[in-house]
Amino acid sequence: MSVFYERFERHAHGEGVKGRSTHYCAGCGHGLAHKYLAEAIDDLGVQDRTIAISPVGCAVFLYYYFDVGNTQASHGRAPAVAIGHKMANPDSVIVSYQGDGDLAAIGLAEIIQAAQLGVPITVVFVNNAVYGMTGGQLAPTTPLGHATATSPAGRDLSMGAPLKMTEMIAAIDGCVYAERVALFDNKERITAKRAIRKALALQLENRGLSFVEVLSECPTHLKMSPRESQRWVRETMVRIFPLGVKKDVKSGRWPAPPPPNFDSARMVEVIGGFADHVESRDAKLPSELGDEVGLKFAGSGGDGAQTAAMLVTRAAIHEGFDATHIPSYGPESRGGTSYADVRIAVDEVLSPAVTAPNVLVAFNAPSLAKFGPHVLPGGTIIYDSSVITERPQQRDEVNCIGVPCAEIAAGLGKAVVKNIVALGALQAATRVLPEKVFIDVIRLALKSKPKLLPINEEAFRRGAEMVANARTSPS
Amino acid sequence: MAKKSLKAKPLLSPQYCKACGLCVEACAQGCLVMGEAIHPETGLRPVVLDIERCTACGLCISACPEPYALAPLPVEGETEIPAPPPKAALTTPDTRLPLAIEDPLVIRGTYASAIGALLAGCRNFFGYPITPSTEGAELMALLLPKLDGVFVQAVSELATINMMYGCGGAGRRAMTFTSSPGMSLMLEGLSYMIGAEIPGVVVDVMRGGPGLGNIAPEQSDIKLVCRSLGHGNTHGIVLAPSTPQEMLDLTFDAFELSFRYRIPAVVLCDGYLGQMTGRVVLPKTMVRPGVPGWAVTGDREHRRNLMCSIELSERDLEEHNRRLIEKYKRIEKSEQRADLFHCDDAEVILVACNTPARMAKGAVRELRQRGAKVGLFRPLTLWPFPIQALEPVVARARRIVVVEASDGQLEDELRLALSHAGMRLPARIESLRHYGGVLPQLHEIVDVVLPDALSAGASRGRA
Ligand code: SF4
Ligand code: SF4
Ligand code: SF4
Repeated sequence: MSVFYERFERHAHGEGVKGRSTHYCAGCGHGLAHKYLAEAIDDLGVQDRTIAISPVGCAVFLYYYFDVGNTQASHGRAPAVAIGHKMANPDSVIVSYQGDGDLAAIGLAEIIQAAQLGVPITVVFVNNAVYGMTGGQLAPTTPLGHATATSPAGRDLSMGAPLKMTEMIAAIDGCVYAERVALFDNKERITAKRAIRKALALQLENRGLSFVEVLSECPTHLKMSPRESQRWVRETMVRIFPLGVKKDVKSGRWPAPPPPNFDSARMVEVIGGFADHVESRDAKLPSELGDEVGLKFAGSGGDGAQTAAMLVTRAAIHEGFDATHIPSYGPESRGGTSYADVRIAVDEVLSPAVTAPNVLVAFNAPSLAKFGPHVLPGGTIIYDSSVITERPQQRDEVNCIGVPCAEIAAGLGKAVVKNIVALGALQAATRVLPEKVFIDVIRLALKSKPKLLPINEEAFRRGAEMVANARTSPS
Repeated sequence: MAKKSLKAKPLLSPQYCKACGLCVEACAQGCLVMGEAIHPETGLRPVVLDIERCTACGLCISACPEPYALAPLPVEGETEIPAPPPKAALTTPDTRLPLAIEDPLVIRGTYASAIGALLAGCRNFFGYPITPSTEGAELMALLLPKLDGVFVQAVSELATINMMYGCGGAGRRAMTFTSSPGMSLMLEGLSYMIGAEIPGVVVDVMRGGPGLGNIAPEQSDIKLVCRSLGHGNTHGIVLAPSTPQEMLDLTFDAFELSFRYRIPAVVLCDGYLGQMTGRVVLPKTMVRPGVPGWAVTGDREHRRNLMCSIELSERDLEEHNRRLIEKYKRIEKSEQRADLFHCDDAEVILVACNTPARMAKGAVRELRQRGAKVGLFRPLTLWPFPIQALEPVVARARRIVVVEASDGQLEDELRLALSHAGMRLPARIESLRHYGGVLPQLHEIVDVVLPDALSAGASRGRA
């Protein structure tokens, strides 16, 4: 049989009889399941394409024997590993081979997801009703009444009833074929062989997950002879786990991933949209601001503080500055507080947090009360005077300008542009960046919604106007 | 493949027979009987075959669990010539392709990291949503289809890391974004990846702990990723960016390092940095990855490859550990990275990484303006810790102040590195620590450093 290695080099370094015999106990069902799988791989001519995932359990050393690509998985995760392989090489033929502890206990989530995703992998599930490798403990599939190392008085209902995995998997849309077979006589063995072959052949059709549960003998932990074990499977297990095809549908289509694209022109298309054009590379801030300026935008969710902050950040970077924007939201993600720190620096923003801002834009009274006192001398506060009706206490050296942002926005028929009104005011009051760059970034931001552009430009202009008026009119 | 006759008489190789008796049961002709004689090599009593009455039904062969105990008897003229074993695959190298985007991107940290991964040739993302890392995953979900890549939302972080195990084992550049609780869940899988030498990149956007903690920035996982990347003698390369630019650069580098050494790499950042938007300049090239010779890809050349972390014999596993440790040593020697800011003449050295390092950088500038000789030592690799660059700096310094958003997790790395390097600990290692999502602020750093920094300088001036 060419799908088994000529010599099992990985089994005790292939020395002596171990070089051509398995590590399984006499009469163990794994040997037969291996044999039928190897035959199926051979029959279908897919040896080179096959990747077998070895589980944790008695079949952990499956890779000793199968001359195919091999990956050994952690306990229960073989279907996840299988998905990783299939996504990497959709043409590979993936066999996820698992025992009952592996698949029906620790790995439940993984097998369910594999079935749900409908990834065409072939699962060979060997159910021998017991944990073999760890020494005969209770499995999810142990029959009621059956004694194991961890159910010494026999399984009772406090340990739950046995899990019928094939029926469960069959109920999931992404599974196209599910059958339960056994190994205890010639007839069942022929059926088992045919089922494994079919499950593998179905994978080549790329429709969905194919699943074969093999009721299997573990003479060692049944403490029976191989022949008695066969009888036990026939008489005890089959009654709980009825044999037969549980699902065989002609539908299903797996959208196999295309080969990945590494074309640099495509990459430019895909990420180029994030690029912002930089106008000049030796920009200067207004002299009174020095080399660095911190701005804080504060309001409640929906005030547009984050958008305003982002626009200033982009505008600054357009101008050739370094700039950062950090959002911070209140505990409630909707309607809670929403603050944004923006820092603009000639060379490099060293410390992006803004605890003492040069400029504060406050959209509501709590924000003004919270951050107003921390504005640096020589700084500017712009507050929405249509929301904050009480004129804040005047501080020396802080230019405090009320702009009815919400009112103006409402007048323009678009309440959400109040942050753009505030930006217009900010620009006119501080000249931190030229007006043109603000208009540029607003245009960029609205690239996909050009209809909104006039109203935003108008909002910006009106905000700036308010500041100009405030300057000329005596307060 | 030569066609085998379906019906064949059996050939018994008694040395491989386990005396299970299944073939005896299977043969209706009674050709097989349980043996009496003990086989000298196995100590078992193999069955005895009398081929006289055999009808070549093949049922005994189908009933035998052993691959080589009962095999079809070769029929004359039909002997199958076994195909020669496949030749081992060669590694096809990565290619660098020119990338023509001059203008900087204005993006948040998680986005920068995602784009860094794309440029490094990552086309496979696996992940489970967790705040504050999810925005990176969301960008991957948006962009990967445009690059014919694959985005899979897994059922958990356990499934995620095991999908990466499979995909990385296939030689592909796979990644995930996660945050602290998710990192805890991935440790088992990372240990398997390290054991099986499977590359892959995990971006951990750290948040407040323990337990569910909160979603604010803490440097809560430094110890986890530097000292305990799962069970066993494990290490992974840990990179610690501080800016959106570094999120891109170090994620890109993480793939390069991860594949160069066949070891997982962690890009360790914090929630603040993940959300921070800044200017990000793109590299001049992007990577089209080759296929590593060791990968399990589902083709003939790679058929003999194995991804595996189990070694049953103690000797073999010790040998395997020795090879891994050897590799860790090579990485420790060659891959240390740090950024030094005003360290040349510094009497006080701040040590910080991630966002606290930015606060610390601002503090250094302010302290310098006030006449204090302060510098910032910023590890870019937390494992390996950049002790080579630190040694001369520490030798000159009088004080070290570790600024971190964790309970001394960074300081422990520093102390371990100093002690492994055989250096005497500096006279004073001080700390400024915050937890639970509170970050050390610039003015606090100044307050901690300033008093003694000035008086000591002044008194020395007088002496
Ligand atoms: S313990 Fe049971 S399942 Fe494991 S190899 Fe032995 S017979 Fe097979
Ligand atoms: S091939 Fe059939 S008849 Fe011959 S020994 Fe085997 S089971 Fe018996
Ligand atoms: S089935 Fe195979 S292993 Fe079992 S007794 Fe027969 S030849 Fe021996």
